[in-house]
Formats: sequence, structure tokens, C-alpha cells
Amino acid sequence: METDLQNILIFATDIKTESEKQQISNCLDTHLEISKWTIDQEDIDCVLRIESDTLNEEQIIQLISEYHFTCTTLE
Amino acid sequence: MRTRDTNKEEIVKQKAIEMLVKLGIEGFSMNRLAKESGISVATLYIYYSDKDDLIKKIGTEIGQIFFSEMTKDFTPDMSFREGLLKQWENRSRFVIQNPDKVACWDLLGHSTYRDSILDESLLEFKTTMGTFMNTAVERKELIPINKEVFWSIAYGPLYTLLRFENEGKSFGGKPFKLTKEATDEAFELVIKALTP
Repeated sequence: METDLQNILIFATDIKTESEKQQISNCLDTHLEISKWTIDQEDIDCVLRIESDTLNEEQIIQLISEYHFTCTTLE
Repeated sequence: MRTRDTNKEEIVKQKAIEMLVKLGIEGFSMNRLAKESGISVATLYIYYSDKDDLIKKIGTEIGQIFFSEMTKDFTPDMSFREGLLKQWENRSRFVIQNPDKVACWDLLGHSTYRDSILDESLLEFKTTMGTFMNTAVERKELIPINKEVFWSIAYGPLYTLLRFENEGKSFGGKPFKLTKEATDEAFELVIKALTP
């Protein structure tokens, strides 16, 4: 089934390395309200892509900031 | 409300194919693709999770189009001559009408994406062509032959002629236009080589 486009949130981050990715992996993997997430570390914006039926952009930004990374909505 | 814009998606796919052919896999980037397609990077990431995902999806789609074109008006129970002629017609049409897709397919086919793309798109086609060959051998219309040799003889001459056609020239820069006569002549020689 196709993902509902409403439920995809896209952010620019400064999560650049594999070890930095590991720091957030566990939290995102086990988060009950996140169905799928990926980060494109090849991209200059290290684009974080989140699929969630319930979370909004502010909540994700808040979550990532707790790990001391920058996370902003990508327009 | 965000909606899926299929027209935009097609533009993105077409641009991605062009960029892959021009810049290669290494030189290709999501940022540049977004810019050249006139969409935001965020929109691009709504459709594809990363560069890997995009390349696999584009490659798989080209494969599916290619193999569905190959089996157009073709059934594995056709006589060997009739079936191979149909394969030649379908392959020629696809190669001539879709130079970018063919170049992109060649590029991805020689890359690390090869297996994931082929697994997705090739399975049904492989079965169809396997049945076609086995039936032809049983009917004594085709000599028993291993697949690689068969492919080289059956399609090698066609792809060589199509390459000349695509480049518009043959040896030493001599102008070349693929005619029906040349195609027929090559086809008859292939039939001669492959039939008992």
C-alpha cells in the first residue's frame, strides 16, 4: 500500500557520520509512533525522513534536539 | 493537503535518467535533481527515501517497461522464426525510441545496483523466454545451445546494427542508417545459424 503523503516529515539535520546516526537510531527504531525512518547522509542536508501517523514536525525537532543535533524543517 | 502530482513525478524520473546518463552514479545527487526538476528537495524526499532508493526504483521501472515491451505481441508458443522476429522488432523499437532509458539501463546493469534491479524486473521475462527456447528445441526449430551463446548469436548482430544506427555512423565515421533490408539480411543469417 502506498504511504499517505500527509504522514511524511522531512528535515535537514547535521547528523553526518555513522556514529552520529547510531546515537539516534535506537530512539527512532523503538519509537511507537514512528513507522519508518531513514536518513540520507550522502546529501548535503543529511535529510531525515520520518513516517508517522501522529507526530508533527515540532515533536520530531524536539526529539532530535535532545541528542544535541540540529534539525530543521526542509522546505 | 499534499497530493501526489504524477506529472511532476514523471518529470523527476525523466530528469533523473538524463542526469544519471550524463553524470554517472557518483556524480548524481538528490539536491541537483530537485533543482533541475524545479521542485524542492523536501518534495523529492517525500517520494524517495534517499539516492539509493531512487536509483533502485528508477532502474526497476525501466526494467519493467523494457521487459513488458519485449513481450508485446509475443507468446512463447510462437514458431521460432516468428517469435525471434517479434523479439527483434520489439527490441529495435524500444532501443530507437528510448535512447536515454537504454543508456541508463546499461549504466545500472554494470553497477552494484544490477542484482536488486534485475531480481525485481526480470523473473517473468526469464520464464517466458526459457519456455520459448525449450519449445523451439523440442519442435526442432532451434539447435540445442547454451543460453549465453544463444543470446550472442540471436541478438548480438541486432544490437551492433542498432549501435551504428544510434551513432549515425559505422566504421571510420561512414554515415549509417539502418534499413529494413539490412535488418532482414542480418535476421536471415541469424536464423540460418540457429536452426538445424
